[in-house]
Amino acid sequence: MGTPAPNPAFSPTAYSPGYAPTGPPPPYQESFQLDANQDFNTHAPADFGFAGGFPSPMTSPAQISSMLQQPVVQDMAIQYGNQLAAQGKEAVQRELHKFVPVSRLRYYFAVDTRYVIRKLMLIVFPYTHKEWMVKYDQDTPVQPRYDINAPDLYIPSMGYVTYVLLAGFMLGLQHRFSPEQIGIQASSALAYIIFEMLLYLVTLYVTNTSTSLKTLDLLAYSGYKYTVMISSLLAGLLAGRTGYYCGLLYSSCALSYFLVKTLRLQLLSGSQGPEQPSYGFPNPPYAANPYSDAWDKPTPGGTKRRVYFLLFVAITQPLLCWWLTYHLVASPPGEGAGPAR
Amino acid sequence: MLTLWNLFEATLLCLNAVCVLHEERFMQKIGWGANTQTQGFEDQSSMKFQILNLVRSIRTVTKIPLIILNILTIMFKLLLG
Repeated sequence: MGTPAPNPAFSPTAYSPGYAPTGPPPPYQESFQLDANQDFNTHAPADFGFAGGFPSPMTSPAQISSMLQQPVVQDMAIQYGNQLAAQGKEAVQRELHKFVPVSRLRYYFAVDTRYVIRKLMLIVFPYTHKEWMVKYDQDTPVQPRYDINAPDLYIPSMGYVTYVLLAGFMLGLQHRFSPEQIGIQASSALAYIIFEMLLYLVTLYVTNTSTSLKTLDLLAYSGYKYTVMISSLLAGLLAGRTGYYCGLLYSSCALSYFLVKTLRLQLLSGSQGPEQPSYGFPNPPYAANPYSDAWDKPTPGGTKRRVYFLLFVAITQPLLCWWLTYHLVASPPGEGAGPAR
Repeated sequence: MLTLWNLFEATLLCLNAVCVLHEERFMQKIGWGANTQTQGFEDQSSMKFQILNLVRSIRTVTKIPLIILNILTIMFKLLLG
């Protein structure tokens, strides 16, 4: 300590109001208004003996900084900082929980390797799968690692990253690549995701369709088209433009079949009795409803709207697949440069 | 090409368009007014009702943030072209 010996009888009134002032506070006390010292009042009253012993004139910055080096002051400062950090973290977590349901997100990423492999094979070839119902475990859906029919967000996010990298690779093969292209492709795909989700949510709201489908479920199901895009891009790599179109046609049929089978159970599960297992859609669903009268208008939140929404989803997915990939496939050598995107 | 900036601009323009539909001068003249008593309770779930409800709530919620966003976008476009 480079400070002179303390005078224990004197306590400056500036930051220790508990003690009676022994005289008018000297004007140099203003230099003591440091934030770290204010903690002395709240949780370290025992230290007043030490703090009260700092009345001596300390106007030079060197002496103030040497006071800041004292271990006690540093401890106080660290404790205060920790308190602020804890409060800040709590506030941030509260706000975050309001917007992003983190615990729900954890459900969607609870996958394992076997699930991923089987789900990918299912998306590519769904025609032999028999049981499409999601298993429930006391009214909450079972985690994806135990049930192949449950939606997950792992495959869509990995598909998104793979799509961006594959797009960069294909652009590089056509000598159209630059490092900014990766950013452009990534933000473009992200903008399409946001736009598509907004479209579906607004459609569901405006038509007043009530479904048991949550937003994250919808995000998961719309993210499965990245597998279609990647497989058709790979087919385009191997066999040129015709290979791309064949791959796109086959995998979009498979994806539409998969989505229709899966979403039919989710969307229409709130309505009446056992569905007919036929794949043809315009059966009159409200004929089986015991409460309907001979009315033309579909019931509010009704089955017909859900069916139309399902068809809408099943049709826009392949369209978006095509729209997001056609500019990446190499055109045959006779056509010149492809369109700049 | 749809980038994030394009999407942002498009949503800003659409929100502006929704917010300039004036309640008294325009909507009631056409019959899209939000306070008419002629709507029976069986009309509550029609698409027109839902859309008008959506317009009204968008207008209420985004009036103030839209001012700020518009000012920022205008300054951004002035400075960076």
